[in-house]
Amino acid sequence: MSKAAELAALIGSQTALSNRNLVINGAMQVAQRGTSATVGPNGTGEGYTVVDRFRNSLSGSVVSTFSQSTDAPSGFANSAKIEITTADTSLGGTEFWNLRYSFEGQDLQSIAKGTSDAKALTVSFWVKSNKTGTYTVELQDTDNSRRNSLAYTIDSSDTWEHKSLTYNPDTAGSGFANDNALSLRINFWFVAGADYKSGTFYNGTWAAEDNAKRVHSSQVNLGDTVGNEWYITGVQMELGEQATPFEHRSFGDELAKCQRYYFRINYNGDNNYFAAGGVYTTTAAMAMLPLPVEMRAAPTAIDQSGTAAHYGSWGNGATQVCSAVPAIRGSSSKTTCAIDLTFSSLNSATGTYNYRIVNASGYIGVSAEL
Amino acid sequence: MSYSVMKTNEDNEVIYQRTDADGLVRRTCLAHDPEFQSWLSANQSSLPDDIQAKVDDGILTIADAD
Repeated sequence: MSKAAELAALIGSQTALSNRNLVINGAMQVAQRGTSATVGPNGTGEGYTVVDRFRNSLSGSVVSTFSQSTDAPSGFANSAKIEITTADTSLGGTEFWNLRYSFEGQDLQSIAKGTSDAKALTVSFWVKSNKTGTYTVELQDTDNSRRNSLAYTIDSSDTWEHKSLTYNPDTAGSGFANDNALSLRINFWFVAGADYKSGTFYNGTWAAEDNAKRVHSSQVNLGDTVGNEWYITGVQMELGEQATPFEHRSFGDELAKCQRYYFRINYNGDNNYFAAGGVYTTTAAMAMLPLPVEMRAAPTAIDQSGTAAHYGSWGNGATQVCSAVPAIRGSSSKTTCAIDLTFSSLNSATGTYNYRIVNASGYIGVSAEL
Repeated sequence: MSYSVMKTNEDNEVIYQRTDADGLVRRTCLAHDPEFQSWLSANQSSLPDDIQAKVDDGILTIADAD
């Protein structure tokens, strides 16, 4: 088929010409939380720590450094990198480690999952590792407790390779819920104990959850040697059976999309006011932080530097620093985060105060992650 | 790192805190925060006493693991 015919076929098939990529931050450009973090052992460093929208999930003794790297294939500026710092050559049956991406159900309605019109899904990405061999990428339908996995092979050590995996349409089960909750995950596997690969591998067939089928029997143990590295970028998930070129978006577009799930405000000079608010007493205050993008849901957590004196107030002609770290309140909304601030003694128990970050190490991060 | 109960605020909401290996509290959250729930699920056989007390009192529910 000619290239023109291929394009015509593509236009008339299942793939949109824009907004094809259902993955946010697939080029690993945005890293609001930081550029490096330690992951492991066990649950240490689990969660979102470096590049936005991608989180580690693990149990076991392997320890690694997870970072945003500038080592990337042509056309990309960044990748996500994992480097093993503590190895485990003898995995327990329940030990596991994967890198996850999570989708809201309302963003997946075009897949028509669970209907006779269900679409295939193609996951493509650039990957590089000095540990060659077989790896697994799993799709996890959390609405219907169904899974599907495919394997890919890293053929050449320390060489960027482009991989494409197509998952069959799933006409069984129900569709994805049309809401803002978790419906689907992509799991990139690095470490899998026997409990995850002792059964008959899903290998492209959607089926009910069964831990033993999730990972290919030849899955490598990336954690078996200190210095093993694994890089990924250009992650794209799209409708249809053909991987199209990665859909690049501007940094601003990606950042705004990421801020639906997490927003961080950093110290930006001496007059770094982040919010205004009131006081309950001379020791208790509440700041209302406006959010730049409507979040997925009302925030469920905030993070900060861990030092109370990095935060303070200005009001009634005086400045003060906090005596406890800022804490989230449940009265937050999708557009405003309510934050408790504690002081040893403000100069008034009434009125409006302005709240600020007073140290270069200070920050406020607001999470509405899946 | 580990989680513990930070406080119950004026709205009677229980706020939880994550203490990192260096002893600093860098994260505070509500009961239904996904990362907190993931930690609860992974550690439910050996929860700290104050967290276990909230579970026993029915104030804190641990979601199904995934």
